[in-house]
Amino acid sequence: MKTVKSLLLFIILCTGFVSEAAPMRLQLWHQMIYGHRVVLSEALRNFEKENPDLVVQETYRETEELRSSYQAAAMGGSGPELIYGPSDQIGPFASMKIIRPWDEVLEKEFFGQFDPLATPKYQDVHYMIGGSVGNNLMLLYNKKLLKNPPKTTDELIAIGKQMTQDTDGDGKIDRYGLVFNYTEPFFFAPFIPAFGAPFMTEDGKPQLNTPALQKTFEFILELRDKHKIIPKECDYETANALFKQDKAAMLINGDWSWGDYKGAGMDFGIARIPLVSSTQKWPQPLVGTAGYSLNVNIQDPERLAATIKLLKYLTSPQVQKLFTERVGVLPSNLALRDDPAVKNNALLQVSSYIMEVGTPMPVVPEVRGVWDSLRVQYQKVLAGSLTPAEGTREAQVMAEAQIRDMNEVIQPDASAFVIQGLALILFLWVLWVSRTSLVNFIKGLQGPQRFVYFMMLPAFIGIFAVIIYPFFYNIAISFSNFNLLTFQSWQIVGFQHYITAITDPRFWSLFVKTIIWTVVNVFFHVTIGIFLAVIINQVMPAKGFWRTLFIIPWAVPQYITALTWRGMFNQEYGPINQFLQQFLHLSPVQWLSQPFTAFTACIITNVWLGFPFMMIVALGGLQAIPHSLYEAAYLDKANAWQRFRHITLPLLMPVMIPAALLGCIWTFNNLNIVWLVSNAGEPGDQTHILVSYVYKAAFNLYRYGYAAAVSVIIFLILVAFSISSLVAQYRKETR
Amino acid sequence: MIKKFLAWVSVLLFAVFSIYPILYVLSVSLRGDNAFQSQSLEIISSTSTVKNFVDLFVNTEFLLWLRNSVIVSAATTLLGVTLASTSAYALSRYRFRGRNLMLFSLLATQMFPATMLILPFYIILSKMHLIDSFVGLFIIYSASALPFCVWQMKAYYDTVPKELEEAGLLDGCSRWQTFYKIILPISSPALVITALFSFMASWSEYIIAAIVLQDPQLYTLPLGLRSFQASLATQWGLYAAGALIVSVPVLVLFISISRYLVSGLTMGSVKG
Repeated sequence: MKTVKSLLLFIILCTGFVSEAAPMRLQLWHQMIYGHRVVLSEALRNFEKENPDLVVQETYRETEELRSSYQAAAMGGSGPELIYGPSDQIGPFASMKIIRPWDEVLEKEFFGQFDPLATPKYQDVHYMIGGSVGNNLMLLYNKKLLKNPPKTTDELIAIGKQMTQDTDGDGKIDRYGLVFNYTEPFFFAPFIPAFGAPFMTEDGKPQLNTPALQKTFEFILELRDKHKIIPKECDYETANALFKQDKAAMLINGDWSWGDYKGAGMDFGIARIPLVSSTQKWPQPLVGTAGYSLNVNIQDPERLAATIKLLKYLTSPQVQKLFTERVGVLPSNLALRDDPAVKNNALLQVSSYIMEVGTPMPVVPEVRGVWDSLRVQYQKVLAGSLTPAEGTREAQVMAEAQIRDMNEVIQPDASAFVIQGLALILFLWVLWVSRTSLVNFIKGLQGPQRFVYFMMLPAFIGIFAVIIYPFFYNIAISFSNFNLLTFQSWQIVGFQHYITAITDPRFWSLFVKTIIWTVVNVFFHVTIGIFLAVIINQVMPAKGFWRTLFIIPWAVPQYITALTWRGMFNQEYGPINQFLQQFLHLSPVQWLSQPFTAFTACIITNVWLGFPFMMIVALGGLQAIPHSLYEAAYLDKANAWQRFRHITLPLLMPVMIPAALLGCIWTFNNLNIVWLVSNAGEPGDQTHILVSYVYKAAFNLYRYGYAAAVSVIIFLILVAFSISSLVAQYRKETR
Repeated sequence: MIKKFLAWVSVLLFAVFSIYPILYVLSVSLRGDNAFQSQSLEIISSTSTVKNFVDLFVNTEFLLWLRNSVIVSAATTLLGVTLASTSAYALSRYRFRGRNLMLFSLLATQMFPATMLILPFYIILSKMHLIDSFVGLFIIYSASALPFCVWQMKAYYDTVPKELEEAGLLDGCSRWQTFYKIILPISSPALVITALFSFMASWSEYIIAAIVLQDPQLYTLPLGLRSFQASLATQWGLYAAGALIVSVPVLVLFISISRYLVSGLTMGSVKG
């Protein structure tokens, strides 16, 4: 035990050393892609050399994660000094009051040196200073395959058809005319205004139920189904890989991707996304910025001054020039626009020409609801479960509903007092009931039983701190109006979230789906587990080898396997479809773009993940069955099936039932697989189970109160389920 | 004969099913040109290189992440095993008020969607100044693996005959000594399982690590690997190579203890 203690002490000391720092440490959280991170880090090291009393620590987070971890951090009163991200995050952050207006700390003249696009305003206040402008979509074309890019959509289709070829004559298309991440609304959004009207009104309301959106949907469907110039399934990675390997002539992508293609040694050109022939209008890419915002919690004047110094450095011509030269971004500082680094960069010149037809990226928080409903309904259209006309109608309805939910501040009603009263009564009751136990407890600490206390207390204090306390905290949130607008000032409002949840038909359909998910998964886990255990135990030589082999899926970390399976289900490049085509001569399945197959894909992944546990449990159970029983059965001339049915199975049950019960609870709450394999519920939010739906409501739509209520309901369902099955088992045993 | 043949065929089919995804990761990690997609089913092709593995060790902070992960997992495992073995022993051997409630609430902790606990975690940790420190992680990891481990250990202790302790007490051992010198050594299969679960809970955990650790110098392997992924440009080759290396220790651990796994995981429920 002594060694254990000293080791722990040692580790604590080690970690203590790391967090100790003499100069002032500033933090910057960002979501820059790989190439940009290198430049950032170089710039920051220069800054540290110039300011020896400051240390800057940069932390990379993926966009969504940056948002959610910053929210948590800022709410806890801490977080980084500066946060760098796309302009559309300032709407939500400003609504939550977790970023501070730059106008309060910077002189007015400062903003004048930047391109107006780089200093977006939300409610007439500056919340961000951009390091560059752009982020706009354009048409990239492979100069090896194509000399002149198309100018109109008619030309695009004609060239696309010419370029889409089956070069080796095996009946499969080897080269596509056009590829892009067309399942993501951001990538087709430029077309919507070109077909008639923008998707949001000037004052930030959704405007989706329009002929323009309907025509856009039809246009993409035609590209895919009628002209067949884009792949049937194409996410960002696929588009990227096809383009890089000369397997696509044209690509719609943004300026951030240039470095990647240059790095791959490609000869590519850029052009405007072609003019829509039927309306004679240019598609309008969304032009935005990514920039720095100030944490509201930085109040210490010294720290604030240092932060401002850092901001001014990061947005200075000197640093921007570094970024322009190394990764080719268009600087936001107007002083640099005439610099040779910009003037002589052909790509940047074309890009600023493309920007002339762009529209600024909306920054209001509502845009999140619009993107989300657009994505959901559009993916349903792509999967063929809605017509384009229905899709536009539904998208509008859903966007309005989501925005309403997001901006709703529920007022406390009578039930709020009931809850507070009940909580008080419950607290007093617990005190009253446990008054003698409490006295006994304290007495017991000195009494003969104190051994038990010392054995148990440390573990239960840990469990209390880590699980029980947060659990009650969640119950409190579930009765509150905690959401986007009440981030800092939520209060208990009543049972509203519970009522909303259980009167929502969507909740019940998800509930049914979760049951199906659980039952199917656990059924396969248990049957495959028993099947393999019996065969390994009875037939196979080298039992240890096979046992080890089948443990592999369990041993590999889940976040790795989930992403691996997602890759394997890819329609064109996934090994699963290639296997189906090459060996079984079946046509490829569009696994991830149809709701049913996507859900099946999640189930297959989870079955793969879960059977080893059950197999091990079953193997253990088999070893405990006395051999004499089988010998008796031989004498009775029982066949293999009868032996299994009447000896193995009944004696395995006591082992398998508790394992299956636990398996049900784990599977019911398994977020990872659904979230990672189906890419957060795609297509069209149709692969959600209850937990992933909760996760989305909390972390993507800011409805914490509602999400907490649903998770309490999930908890109650599982408690009821396990109590009833434990009782059933107990009855069976005592009968 | 036919039966044997069928058994072989089905076992081989399942073997392919269970190891193919790992081979697929291997194949991605060996593709030199960062090409995630390929239209062939070959695992190793003529263009395969080990460049990604070399890059991983030379050009990234992989060794630092590895060190951090080892520290976190080792401490979590130690803490987890200590707490689970002692508290489960008390639950198994002593009858006291609230014991059944305690046992059920341990099970019930598994029923609440874990992701909803993130926000409260953050608030607690930042109030205790445990953000950016491994101590916060030890506590969360070991405590969240505890419920399962305690159940597991308790089921095992239940199968150990009481007479052993009685004999020990007669020979003049204290209660702690009977536990430490007699019960613990014969519980090694269950202890190994508990250690394995605590280790796995910390070795591959991502979500909590991401909110607790903000300083890149403290990143654990999952966080480090995740930094190869960006929303619009993923370093697939590096990611796959890293993923393979991350899986190796867990695999080795599983293989070396698979003997204990079978007895430790089921002993309790069979006899209990």
